[in-house]
Amino acid sequence: MDLVLNEEEQFIKKTAREFLEAACTTKLIRAMEDDPLGYPADLWGKIADLGWLGMALPEKHGGQGLPLSYLGLILEELGYAAAPVPFHCTMITALAISQFGNDNQSSEILPQVVKGDMILTWAIIEKNPRLLPETIKSKAEADGDSYIINGTKLFVESFNSSQKCLVACRTSQPSSSNEGISLFLVDTKTAGITEIPLINMAKEKQSKLVFNRVSVPKSNLVGKIDEGWPIIEQILDTGTALLCTQMVGSARKQVDLAIEYAKVREAFGKPIAAFQAIAHPCADMIIWVDGGQMLTYEALWRIDQGLPASVEVSQAKAFCNDKCLAVGHHSNIIHGGIAFMQEFDLNLWFRRTNAMTMKLGTSFEHRSRVAKALIDQPGYVRLGASMYELADSP
Amino acid sequence: MDFAFTHKQEKLGKDVREFIANNLTPGIREEMGGDGLEEGKRGPKVQELYKKIAERGWIGIVWPKKYGGQEGSRIDQYIVEEEFARVGLSVGGAGSGAPAIMAAGTDAQKEYFIPKLINGEIILALGFSEPRGGADLAALQCRAVRDGDEYVINGQKTFSTSAHHATHIYLMARTDPDAYRHKGISILLVPIDAPGITIRPMYTLQNNPKAPAGTTYATPQTNEVFLDNVRVPVSCLLGEENKGWYVGAMGLNLDRVGASRYLISVRRDEDIINWVKHNKLDEYAPAKDDAIRDRLAELWIEAQVSRLMTMRSMSMVERDMPFNYEGSAEKVWSPEHGIKTTEMVTQILGPYIQLMNGSEEAIEKGIFAHNLLASWVSANNHGGVQIMRDQVVRRGFGFPRGY
Repeated sequence: MDLVLNEEEQFIKKTAREFLEAACTTKLIRAMEDDPLGYPADLWGKIADLGWLGMALPEKHGGQGLPLSYLGLILEELGYAAAPVPFHCTMITALAISQFGNDNQSSEILPQVVKGDMILTWAIIEKNPRLLPETIKSKAEADGDSYIINGTKLFVESFNSSQKCLVACRTSQPSSSNEGISLFLVDTKTAGITEIPLINMAKEKQSKLVFNRVSVPKSNLVGKIDEGWPIIEQILDTGTALLCTQMVGSARKQVDLAIEYAKVREAFGKPIAAFQAIAHPCADMIIWVDGGQMLTYEALWRIDQGLPASVEVSQAKAFCNDKCLAVGHHSNIIHGGIAFMQEFDLNLWFRRTNAMTMKLGTSFEHRSRVAKALIDQPGYVRLGASMYELADSP
Repeated sequence: MDFAFTHKQEKLGKDVREFIANNLTPGIREEMGGDGLEEGKRGPKVQELYKKIAERGWIGIVWPKKYGGQEGSRIDQYIVEEEFARVGLSVGGAGSGAPAIMAAGTDAQKEYFIPKLINGEIILALGFSEPRGGADLAALQCRAVRDGDEYVINGQKTFSTSAHHATHIYLMARTDPDAYRHKGISILLVPIDAPGITIRPMYTLQNNPKAPAGTTYATPQTNEVFLDNVRVPVSCLLGEENKGWYVGAMGLNLDRVGASRYLISVRRDEDIINWVKHNKLDEYAPAKDDAIRDRLAELWIEAQVSRLMTMRSMSMVERDMPFNYEGSAEKVWSPEHGIKTTEMVTQILGPYIQLMNGSEEAIEKGIFAHNLLASWVSANNHGGVQIMRDQVVRRGFGFPRGY
């Protein structure tokens, strides 16, 4: 048991902080909000050079094979910097391919990802945004050596800059043996895909995709036919834990901005930090972000250990959602009216943090998963003990 | 980062649980929980049990061997403490006095106090708060005047909870009235039977009816202590004269973290979830109520944060890192979470939670009701939550003092 970051972890975090402080200015963030591509290619190249893209990917494909918790530290700093890069969507798709793709898929795609030459994304969510198999209605039907995809996907990130997209489709009706969902790697330039941009709060590239008779070679199936749902669950768990690190970083920046502002802004003849009505919300914000960070680290650490982690992931996301929204509110109040002004920087983090609270599961969805583990499993709960096999007695 | 105990530590926890299952007899439980658990009070059967616990090497794990401890790790101590605290037994052997004595005491003081504090022969009553000095502790008025080889003490202390069965008062008094606030304060270890000490009980909300065993802050009584020309030898001084503020802080910081502090705040989460899972109120099953399920999950997640904050503090102590703001943060989050839980329970079980110990229809002897009252204490003792918020931002983030 050691919740203090070790030297290597501290070094990764510090290096990332320093690099991004210099490389990712608020000017760049603002420029990318209006940029058609949405990310700076040279920054992406530098990120590849630093080895971040290969950090958690297997060594045989050019990566470093390091734990996800290390990648989490990077994402936390990307969140802290509000870095406009398609890192999260590329990473969770690449991780899915490395874990569930076949050798051909991995050796074609992963080395390119590591070098920064390929951006990836994923398309699972549809009209009903809940992360459940029955919400997936896009269909893929076999046709000779291909599958033909028809359907609509929502909230797809950075599709405009991605070369490949991992798409979840229904291939059969659910049965006792599986959910009838399959995953396909789709070349983003394939004919029949219509991309409709979604104008969103974080001003990032997000799309609605309409698939109209999109043909995908059978060799692009990831995993086994009809057995994609357990893969999606893992993608979502890993993706959610990693998103939490980014959200924690982004919220932490809002806390730091509030603290900095409180110390320099004067009212009634003294810095407003001297007023407890300002100081105490700052204390709460620190406590909340620390809490979200520790829950998230625990979830990632469990995934790294190969331990079940779905409850810990949901604990982290539900807490981060609620508390990061509250951090935004407090930071706003401490800043006063200036926070609402576009040219003041706080909103860059405020909008992004808020957007992240809405992705990959709401607080209600995640608490419902936690409640299921707590209440519907037989036995007695005890803090610190397993959430997957409860005790026979209190 | 590492979120698991070692195999050896897991085994230690298992051993302690087995020991408790085999040794905590109904007779001992009865002696402990007769009319509410008073901290520090040990009957003959409990004393016998403590001997057995000591034989296993589970008392005073982190303390030096020469003072009766084991020189073990803080995490081991935490594991053992947690298991025993869950059944109402304290094996930490500390409180806020012991770490301060260890840090600032003379060899003679350490040799005399530490072994007996660990085995429970010495019980310190905290003599810090005064009627006019709690949150603003540095405003305290109690005077200790040097007179030859003695100090003569005059003053009044309040909320001295264990005074009526303590052996000593761990007393903060003003030794230099001309120095600025905290600069003129000293700590004295005053024998409770010194002439001139009068102890007057102050009864708490748990006095009538008495809280059932297992209640957090079940104590029915705290005390006022009057010191009237109390003479003690100068050897009772802990640390240097006029440096008492810093000596006291060493103990208080450690007092705000640890297994018992954490469990105080989260036991109710486990209790209400386990109750809801296994009980119904006639045909009504709260376990199937979606609103309640959502709130229970929320409480659980917050309790996990409480656990992780404690683990963070333990990790820091284990690494010999000083607390920056982490101990104070824990003393904000955990008690406030505990309060939220006890309040939430009222809205889950409704009118049953009015019913106190001994009432017909009371759930679990009214423990949830008594805990609701108890939660009031947790926000204010050992540093109120608003004072702790001040410390988080001042110590951790360089905020200016606003008053």
